[in-house]
Amino acid sequence: MTAITNTHTVQCQGRTITRPEVEDFLYGEADILDHWDYDGWLALFEPGARYEIPTTDYRPGWSPHETGSFVDDDWDLILARVKRLKSRKAHAENPHSRTHRLVSNVRLSEHTEDSFRVSASFVVHRARDGHFDAYVGWYEHVLVPTEDGLRFRLRRSILGHESLAAGARLSFIL
Amino acid sequence: MIVEDWDQLTFRVNREAYRSAEIFTRERGWVWTHTWLYLGHETEIPNPNDFKVRTLGGRPLIFCRDTAGEVHAFLNSCPHRGTVLCRESEGSTRLFQCFYHAWTFRNNGDLAAIPDADAYESTDEFKASMGLRGVPRLEIHEGYVFVAFDPDVPPLLEHLGDAADYMTMIEQQHVGGMTTLPGTQQYSVRGNWKLAVENAMDGYHFAPTHNTFVGYLRESGFAVTDDNQYAYNLGNGHGLLVLTGHGGRISMIWEPRFGEDERVRTEQHRAEMAERLGEKRAHYVADESHILFVFPNLLLFDIEGLSIRQLEPVAPDQTDVRAWQLVPRNEDPAARALRMKTVVSFVGPGGLATPDDIEAYEAVQRGIQATADTAVPELDYSDMSRGMADEVKGVQGRSTDEGAMRGFWRHWIEAVGLDDGLAVHGDRPASFLEGRDVR
Repeated sequence: MTAITNTHTVQCQGRTITRPEVEDFLYGEADILDHWDYDGWLALFEPGARYEIPTTDYRPGWSPHETGSFVDDDWDLILARVKRLKSRKAHAENPHSRTHRLVSNVRLSEHTEDSFRVSASFVVHRARDGHFDAYVGWYEHVLVPTEDGLRFRLRRSILGHESLAAGARLSFIL
Repeated sequence: MIVEDWDQLTFRVNREAYRSAEIFTRERGWVWTHTWLYLGHETEIPNPNDFKVRTLGGRPLIFCRDTAGEVHAFLNSCPHRGTVLCRESEGSTRLFQCFYHAWTFRNNGDLAAIPDADAYESTDEFKASMGLRGVPRLEIHEGYVFVAFDPDVPPLLEHLGDAADYMTMIEQQHVGGMTTLPGTQQYSVRGNWKLAVENAMDGYHFAPTHNTFVGYLRESGFAVTDDNQYAYNLGNGHGLLVLTGHGGRISMIWEPRFGEDERVRTEQHRAEMAERLGEKRAHYVADESHILFVFPNLLLFDIEGLSIRQLEPVAPDQTDVRAWQLVPRNEDPAARALRMKTVVSFVGPGGLATPDDIEAYEAVQRGIQATADTAVPELDYSDMSRGMADEVKGVQGRSTDEGAMRGFWRHWIEAVGLDDGLAVHGDRPASFLEGRDVR
């Protein structure tokens, strides 16, 4: 069972990070993604960061380096993914999907001296080709406080689905 | 249904093949009932008592290894009233118990217990007749487990024909053999299963569809080409694309984005293979990438890394897909991490390439409605003529031709029992088929 503890502040780099600050960061990211501002999205990452989506049979503790996954992007692949999504030749997202994201259940926890963990729930609604899909799951992010605000070191989206439904491929950022 | 014209050099497939509920039912009743089907890989259930559940041709199955270590496939349905017996997706168990009336079975299929069995008049005889229903045929080739729901199918190796050796070549890639990993990509597409087969056997789409991925490869220093890439019909509906210019493969074909350490590992591995397999065989195993289609539901993508993809048609316009990564046992951890990243960057519904493939065949599925039930029925055909002129000349078909698709469709029409659905005009060239000697 998850113990009910203080999840609304965390100490990191000598600063006190509060849950509203993290919530604003995640809400801002959701807004950026829903508006297809991929340069804006990239600016939320520290160089060298990672983006991961495990498969739907994921079990806690699995490493993407040792198992199959949906997304296992290092920094170069994040750059390639953003470049691709900005191209009109990213056929799977041309025309773009419409997405609407809800982020909730935000919790902070300690990690290392210069970074901390955030878990949160998401619901992403997506409309495309006359279909409407919903993606449900939770985030397990590692964030870093910087002078310019919070930045992703690891952005991980874990799906709550048993499998991806028909047409619900992960061609956009989840 | 199919019109093959050697005078006009055209090959046309009626689009009802992708749309029709009647054809779909026919495929279930013929292809999926009377052909060997890929069930899974032995390494998915490595230990005694391991099991996975899986659906093939709409039939729920238990894929398991019994306590003695033997591999089985049982219908996941209680012999009593038909309840789905195992409702977990995977696990380890010696016994399967039906929750409905508590009938219990051993993982070798034997009936273990019926509550209040003495209510049945001839209990021992009755019990003996009530074991789990196994599939009529199960055979394993190089770890790939195939099943058939028809006891009279030919031996597996006869069905696989030349495809069998390409599966052996995969197993020979690494001295310790290959194993599947956890982390299965399970997804579904809004398209007919045959469109997924065509897409895999189609090098023509690579440059336009995967423009963004080709750009990524070029920027990372790999010169992408379509040169010296070929397509082969392997018979029985199986097909092969031989690719070298569409990106490297971890531990096989190095490219700059894999880094210096991987270059050294690849060179060492290549030398070890030449010694172990001989230079000629090592060349075919190592220096070309392959996409192998084993009729009707198995695709092996020996590109980037090695992905096993299984197709499960659920409706004329919907296909479930399951994909596993096949990796060398005891691989160096750094190489393994690079492999997983590289494979996933291309293959799968979250990669930089597969989503565009899915978009392509979902778009076909929508687009072919345009010509359904029109006043001009001859418009309702898809064209797969590319490369027929070369076939007449006896020139080996290129990966950018549609020869592998034509081989698939010729076999498909037989497999669904519609032999008269294939109209051939003119004379088929003698040289147009057959594989090559890679042994």
